[in-house]
Amino acid sequence: MNMDEKTPEEPDRDVPLGGDEPTPEAPAGDEPTREQPTRQLGGASEQPRRLFRSRSDRVLGGVCGGVAQYFGIDAVIVRVVAVALVFLGGAGALVYLAALLMVPDEHGAAAANSGNLRGRLLTGLAAVLLAIAFLSIFPWGWNNWFLPGVVVPLGVLALLGLGVWWLFPPDRDRERSGSAGEILRRVVLGACLLAACAVLALGAAWAGAVGGGGVVAAVVIAAGLLLAAGAFIAPVRWLILPALALALPLAIVSAAGIEVDNSIGDRQYNPASVTELRDRYELGVGQLVVDLRDTDLPAGEHRLKMKLGVGDAVLVVPEDVCVSSAAQIGVGQVDVFDSGQEGVDVDWVDRHAPPDGRPTIVVDADIGLGAFEVQHDLDDDFHNFHRFDDTGRKQNAAACKVGRSA
Amino acid sequence: MRRPDPVALVAGLGIAALGALLLLDNEGTLHLRFGALAPITFAVVGAILLASGLSRR
Repeated sequence: MNMDEKTPEEPDRDVPLGGDEPTPEAPAGDEPTREQPTRQLGGASEQPRRLFRSRSDRVLGGVCGGVAQYFGIDAVIVRVVAVALVFLGGAGALVYLAALLMVPDEHGAAAANSGNLRGRLLTGLAAVLLAIAFLSIFPWGWNNWFLPGVVVPLGVLALLGLGVWWLFPPDRDRERSGSAGEILRRVVLGACLLAACAVLALGAAWAGAVGGGGVVAAVVIAAGLLLAAGAFIAPVRWLILPALALALPLAIVSAAGIEVDNSIGDRQYNPASVTELRDRYELGVGQLVVDLRDTDLPAGEHRLKMKLGVGDAVLVVPEDVCVSSAAQIGVGQVDVFDSGQEGVDVDWVDRHAPPDGRPTIVVDADIGLGAFEVQHDLDDDFHNFHRFDDTGRKQNAAACKVGRSA
Repeated sequence: MRRPDPVALVAGLGIAALGALLLLDNEGTLHLRFGALAPITFAVVGAILLASGLSRR
């Protein structure tokens, strides 16, 4: 049929320049498209240049090939730069995924409207996650940058990917036209889904923190077994998202060791004498302060344990007291006289042999999410995450050596 | 016999395994921290996404 002819059944529409472009009625290749904007690719054109993902020069999604065509350079150069950016904080991966989602391909189809592209996106995302899972076996940098800087953002991306996959299934029968009603349906459905998952996630986290994690874990197991059994009978893929919404917060709470009893709020203890000094201070959520500046401490060791679910645990001691500290923190920081650590799975040990003739506080802190701090003064500005140096630590070490017998 | 749905199968087994680990951790049999749980969790999510992506090819 002559492309310039319009039949009564064929509504008036833009016809792609370049006769080999597929039409909605007669898709070419294995990727039918629904949108055919007017454009001219390559060659002399009066229209401004536009960025597309290349279909002919692609390794994954054609982003690098499209950028190379846009700037008129070799695609290999773009790929080398992209790979280099991946190893510089993961920015390259994030930019690539964003471009994959938002930049249309040469036929004008955005990733969110293309089942095959969505499949490639999910596959690529999955490969990245698996690679990170493998790399994280090695004991490097977990406490500094790797988990918060790379894994957490990719985890968020994974969840977003799951949401996209669920909200925009590739089933051609469900790919309806973008009518207002359909868009509204998807928006409402997505909002309800996110709200339900948020409720499930918060509930799972709370249950895990107050000691009901076993029940939630059992529900997760049941959902997993139902999914696996249903795979042979009637697949219930919709269960994946709620099951993960339960499992992931519980995993975070369990890994951080967050235990929240019903004690919530701020607590401050100022024991006047050693008899009032407890061997254990606990709080679920809030700020726990043990101030020993006015405590009459005799020479010798005084042991105490500070256990906190979420919040800040602060120990304030007189300057003539030696402090021997150890702390285990799921996520947060240790600040002992302006030196310490921060990150995840923080294990802090700063032990000193007790000096002769002076009191020594031996403190063990167990905190799920938050901070443990030891200071000589209780000030409001104790949250300075980047002031760590060895000055205070050396002062305490010197104090602990005073009067020690050889 | 019906051919099993690979996504549901992988997701079910992975989620059940993750749930079992979380159960053991909550019961005190295991003591998993972020260094262990994070790779396991992301491996499960990654396996689900991988199965989903491959099933579309």
